[in-house]
Amino acid sequence: MLEIHWGLPVIIYLFLGGLGAGAGVVSASVFLRSHAGDASEGAFDIARWGALIAPIPVIAGTGALVFELGSFAVGDMFRWINLFLTINLSPMSLGSWFLALFIGVSLCYAYTFLKSDAHSGDKHQAFRKMLAWVMVPLGIGVALYTGILLGAMPARPFWNSPILAMLFLISALSTGVASILLVRCVAHALGHKKADEYTGEGAQGTEESKYILAATDMLLISFEVLVVFLFIMYAHLTIGGVENAIDVILGGSLTSLFWFGFVVIGLIIPILIEMKYVLPRLLRQEHYSIPHAVELAACMLVIVGGFMLRYVVVIAGQLTGPVGI
Amino acid sequence: MKDPATQVSRRGLMKNLIATDRPKRYAMVIDTRRCIGCQACTVACKSENDVPLGESRSWVETIEKGNFPDVGRSFLPRLCNQCEKPGCVSVCPTGATYTRKEDGVVAINKEICIGCKYCILACPYGVRYLDPKTGSVDKCDFCLHRIEKGVVPACVNTCQGAARIFGDINDPSSAAAKMLETNSVSVLRHEMGTEPMVFYIGADHSDERYAERTGVYVRVETHRRQQKRV
Repeated sequence: MLEIHWGLPVIIYLFLGGLGAGAGVVSASVFLRSHAGDASEGAFDIARWGALIAPIPVIAGTGALVFELGSFAVGDMFRWINLFLTINLSPMSLGSWFLALFIGVSLCYAYTFLKSDAHSGDKHQAFRKMLAWVMVPLGIGVALYTGILLGAMPARPFWNSPILAMLFLISALSTGVASILLVRCVAHALGHKKADEYTGEGAQGTEESKYILAATDMLLISFEVLVVFLFIMYAHLTIGGVENAIDVILGGSLTSLFWFGFVVIGLIIPILIEMKYVLPRLLRQEHYSIPHAVELAACMLVIVGGFMLRYVVVIAGQLTGPVGI
Repeated sequence: MKDPATQVSRRGLMKNLIATDRPKRYAMVIDTRRCIGCQACTVACKSENDVPLGESRSWVETIEKGNFPDVGRSFLPRLCNQCEKPGCVSVCPTGATYTRKEDGVVAINKEICIGCKYCILACPYGVRYLDPKTGSVDKCDFCLHRIEKGVVPACVNTCQGAARIFGDINDPSSAAAKMLETNSVSVLRHEMGTEPMVFYIGADHSDERYAERTGVYVRVETHRRQQKRV
């Protein structure tokens, strides 16, 4: 067992950064997909919640990150500025710039949705549309780089896989969708804008947008299952350092946390719940309706699973190293 | 015999493998047959570089192997390998760690380093540590302050058995270059592709996997805080 150098702050950051970036990408995509919110009130509402969520976890995660810095620990509060005095091909350097741009753009994007009576025809619309186009590539960049960051080190065979970044991206989008559904569900329950306040087309639009999000999440999780399978299969088919490293989740100290904490809780249970409600609508065009409590539970499981994934991957990569000398 | 058109000398081959545009290329050859495991280099390094408690830039590992009465014990001095393709440099987000153009030494600018520990994770040899006093990452730099003045590193200076040979291998008359020409050498974890500039003569590369494979008892003692060999 090797020593752990990147602890909880990094894990929290990778999780929150991915979640926020995912929420931002989903919000901007839904917004652009619905003709900048003209097509459906429900889509605009999703875009609004996604936009309002996005910067908060990213800023919180980035804030947590400074606690992992050696310079911060010795009381040099601002030496991290050095990150922004240069740019090179280090994943962390590119990631920092992406992150800084994302925080700025997502704050502006959230601002355009801030007023509770924000709607698709108001004065911010043109600005909002422009920002949405920027949010998509920036958000994908932030979500993707967290995986590239870990994958860039041949000395860490567990992480040194091209598919890790893909796994993190899909998990980021999935937790992003879940966070939008969750926050919207809670906000509606608290009476911000009750679902039954919508009348006629509005009510249908809300159900429809909830369906689209749940169906998207189902699709994302199924891709995530596939990527997890590929990640483990290729590692297991290799010999040497990678095979040795993957043993930590196939029969080592993190096995139960990975399989139960991530695969079962974060993937299998939520996808089964979503399938139960999404498939009838998808296959037989039946009416989509999901109880609030079930929706809440599924979203929370997806988010917990996203955290577990980051936790297991970050720790497993550090416990294992190259074999031989 | 010395005709370069017909004869590919080992030096010539090596010159093509490593960056040839450097005026100097410092390297170390460690003759483990001459190492007695006295840890004088470990101590000299710690005092020379004011290495914080619990950390080490250079250390000597002990490898005990065999089943009684056929047993052996050898030593493996460790330090930064000053790689030609260092994994730590390519991940540094601030450019604080860099390869010196003039002599190939991998050095750290402590004023710039923010202590993100990315390089600690990226090093396949586990030679980097976070200095709790400065908040920057630190490691062996071949005693840069000494070699710039033409003095050998502290570990080389103190080595009782003259097991550590240091020099500029771009200079064919240096002791290190001659050792490379006349001995079979190995590097640590050459499969990582880092192209180390610390070469070993007679190093014992056995580890626990070797023990599993052969049934030979092997015990490795790192003599540092990190008990498992990195």
